[in-house]
Amino acid sequence: MEYLVVFLVLVVFLQTRVTDLKRAVICLASQSLIIAVACFALGFSTSTGLHAIMPGLLTLVVKVIFIPGAILRLVGKLKNEREILSESNVNYSTMAAALFLVMGYAIVERLLPGFAGRDIVAASILMIMTGLSLMVLRKRAIIQMAGLITLENGIYLLGLLMTDGLPLVVELGVFLDVLIAVVVLVILTSRMRLSFMTTDTSVMKKLKG
Amino acid sequence: MDFAINELIYFVLLLPVIFSVISATNLLPKDLLHWLNRITATCVAAAIGLLVVTFNPEQPYGDAYLYLDALSVWMLLIVGTLYFAFAWTSKAYLDRDTNQRYGYLRRFQRLEGRFYALSHMFVWIMFVVVTVNNLGLMWVAIEATTLVSALLVAFKFTRTSLEATWKYVMVCTVGICLALLGTILVYYIQLTSVGTESPLNWLYLSQHVENIDPAMAKFAFCFLFVGYGTKIGLAPMHAWLPDAHSEAPALTSGLLSGSLCICAIYVLIRNIIILMPAIGVDFISGLCLFFGLFTVAAAVPFVLVQRDVKRMLAYSSMENFGLMVAGLGLFVPVAAQAMLLHMFNHALVKYSLFYTAGTIMEEFGTKNMMRIHGMMLQVPKTALFWILGIVGILGMPPFGVFFSKFYTIYGFFTADHPYLGILMLGLLAGMLIGILYHVMRMLGGHECRKCSGELFGIVDSVVLLALLVFSGVLSAGVNEIPVISKLLTTASQIVLGGIS
Repeated sequence: MEYLVVFLVLVVFLQTRVTDLKRAVICLASQSLIIAVACFALGFSTSTGLHAIMPGLLTLVVKVIFIPGAILRLVGKLKNEREILSESNVNYSTMAAALFLVMGYAIVERLLPGFAGRDIVAASILMIMTGLSLMVLRKRAIIQMAGLITLENGIYLLGLLMTDGLPLVVELGVFLDVLIAVVVLVILTSRMRLSFMTTDTSVMKKLKG
Repeated sequence: MDFAINELIYFVLLLPVIFSVISATNLLPKDLLHWLNRITATCVAAAIGLLVVTFNPEQPYGDAYLYLDALSVWMLLIVGTLYFAFAWTSKAYLDRDTNQRYGYLRRFQRLEGRFYALSHMFVWIMFVVVTVNNLGLMWVAIEATTLVSALLVAFKFTRTSLEATWKYVMVCTVGICLALLGTILVYYIQLTSVGTESPLNWLYLSQHVENIDPAMAKFAFCFLFVGYGTKIGLAPMHAWLPDAHSEAPALTSGLLSGSLCICAIYVLIRNIIILMPAIGVDFISGLCLFFGLFTVAAAVPFVLVQRDVKRMLAYSSMENFGLMVAGLGLFVPVAAQAMLLHMFNHALVKYSLFYTAGTIMEEFGTKNMMRIHGMMLQVPKTALFWILGIVGILGMPPFGVFFSKFYTIYGFFTADHPYLGILMLGLLAGMLIGILYHVMRMLGGHECRKCSGELFGIVDSVVLLALLVFSGVLSAGVNEIPVISKLLTTASQIVLGGIS
């Protein structure tokens, strides 16, 4: 479990550094893969039967294969875009992620002193906050999508640790929602490419007030 | 004809799905599609009407996945009425939007099937929100409404509608993810203090609330409040609301404003009922009152300087949601009842207003209010519905909103918050001045822009008039109609939990 947390933190930090879209999606996929392994590990140690393999299997199919696959297909279509350089603040997101990691440990020490899964809680807080910061600080649609999935993964990991997974029906619903969300976002992004010739969301600033 | 409650509710939950699958295949000819849409919605609305009449508020209905008490039936009544209105106004709107010079949809072929499929799916998910018995499934359904309605908001795929939808999906999904965290914390509370039996089941939880840990409950409530508050459109998290409401097709704006946001309020209420005994009324009441008033206060200046007609209505919706949440935060019976009544009135009147605004946009070929003058001379019928709806939403006497706003303000004074009541009155007056200023400019004056002539037909005028009259009659006679009065009283008792 400790190794998983180390890898997870590493991947999340890497995610704040990359600006290339393809690499960002691969980072996302490997992050989800780590979550899936954690799901299997926790599932087999706490419960048996369908509820043990279902979350891990769903994570593997939905978040490791389907979602990155859909986004990669979209990235493949993104050619001759307008060049917009709004991606200069990579260092800020890394700095923010470092702060979030410290903050995560501080929160765990404060709220749940002596809790066994301390590192995992801190890592999931890191993921939630980094996902948020990616969505706020970065302007490119694909990176924002990756931020959203990171945020969702963080919440999912926290839930997995605290409650050994939600009830099965709810779990299925959550995965269905994530799946539809990505489909909707992919449709929107490809439409954005058609209308704006770019997937940089900083061009969309007409609606105010 | 005699139906059991479960037959009726399964009928309501089955028909819209069947129709939306049929229309998604896009095989039917246009006229048949329009008629099938109307028949579906009328049957569902009739079933809901029958449900309201036969339902005994003292005996909630429950099975493995569904739970129906007075509050759910009241919400079903609101969503069902809007569904009916949607189906009978949709043909006029779609015909116009594909034909006239302002119609964006004329560029595409055969969009009716897709529009109907998405809209009926959207309404169906809202039916699911108010009938499921599980807090987790409520969350799933609320998130699903965001995604389905996102495709409706972006239906025209113009640049601005793409921008609005991107903002809508991003902001709402983040908010709803925080609500998921809150729901997970509620489940954690259940596991640690209540037991593993019937996970996240609302009824079971509400019967076993005694030994919830207060600190953890407060933590969970904060996440739930921020999460569902984003979906309601409370002030610091409202960034998506004016954009989505103004860029969506007019019918979708009406459904978004009239029923989606109050579904989020409904889920918030369900969570509050569970957590209130542990947290205490004061904390929840303080949060609701503060954010409610803040939302109204944030909406007023934007209305004053507004130029876009649908954005103005969106800010007016924000004002009404603020009022509802503040009314919820008062925790007195009169305010809770008024809040439920206000949900109903606001939904009906705001739907008719959005429809009228869509018509105005098509008649004048612009949505800039500064360029629309002389509506009285050029399009008298539209002008009539516009002024009736505006007078209705601002809370002037002959209409339903007057009663619900009046009782909510009255609730402020009975709940010992007189200064907040006066503040709310002042803010509502500011809203009234802002909206009336724009509307009067639009109605009066000389015509200075070529207009395509009266576009209001017979069917849509009748439906809009019926909406306004229904809201007025029901609110004026809320204590005289036994079915409604009993339903509303029981529902408000549910909202207040044990306190009454």
